[in-house]
Amino acid sequence: MQNAKDSFYMTLRTRLTSINPERTVLLRGSVRPGILVEEAEAPFNQLPNDVFVLRWLGVGVDMDLATAMVVEQCEILYQTCGTQSFGGLDRGRALSQMDKELTTMLQPFHTPKLNYTAMPPAAMLTQVFWDEPGLGPIVVQRDRLSRSASVTVYSYQEQGE
Amino acid sequence: MLADALLRSMTGTTALLRVTGVSTDSNMSELGLVSTTFADVVVSPVVMRKLRPTWQEGGESKWELFVSATGVQQQVSALDLASAQSLFAMTLTVTVGGQDYLIESVASNEAFGQVYLYRLLLREARQQAV
Repeated sequence: MQNAKDSFYMTLRTRLTSINPERTVLLRGSVRPGILVEEAEAPFNQLPNDVFVLRWLGVGVDMDLATAMVVEQCEILYQTCGTQSFGGLDRGRALSQMDKELTTMLQPFHTPKLNYTAMPPAAMLTQVFWDEPGLGPIVVQRDRLSRSASVTVYSYQEQGE
Repeated sequence: MLADALLRSMTGTTALLRVTGVSTDSNMSELGLVSTTFADVVVSPVVMRKLRPTWQEGGESKWELFVSATGVQQQVSALDLASAQSLFAMTLTVTVGGQDYLIESVASNEAFGQVYLYRLLLREARQQAV
């Protein structure tokens, strides 16, 4: 199931660079697309603004199939305080922009499953696919607007996984 | 300088800031597949104090670390960083007396427009697998 998680993240990351190349984050000394996997980074005391943060939650396995299907719940968190030039007054617009980017980068709802432990990444036999995102309500914390979206990601467990 | 002398007089010790290096392979490091390079940055003098505990089951103790601004500035210059905030932002853990801590927040004390002390709110790090 790790391959599915890796493939899902790498797909969103690649799509984000074409949707909005200016959404970047400076992390661990390098400028990267503005999306990250929370469990693969140092613990945050506060999540970074204007960045998509992937948090993996529940997992389930359907064994009643020829090949076991793994279902994983991914929470995508994002928040913004708007831009300095607008004094933060554009934070609503900034969050709407992130909503749009998220829904755009989730389409199409599938991607080939790759094994990223190999160099270069090795294509596997099946696909990773997911549902439409369930966008939660906006949470207002003074000058910060945040939202989380829930996506259910499906993949088939291949031999050797 | 006065802050340094005060910190030293209060059994000032040394702290190690474990900072990350620039990740070379972005794909693999972003997935947690390869560990990035780390470097230990020494800052001194520092003084640590335990914050008044409000006990919570399973909660880690919180500490406050007073760090000399001159000690930090030396390392900021040595690492060619833009500011002390950059140094703290790239710090994974702070080690004092062999114990690792995570930075919760950073504050600074100023006099005449110049920072003389950084106050790091720390939380004890849980033990990681070897």
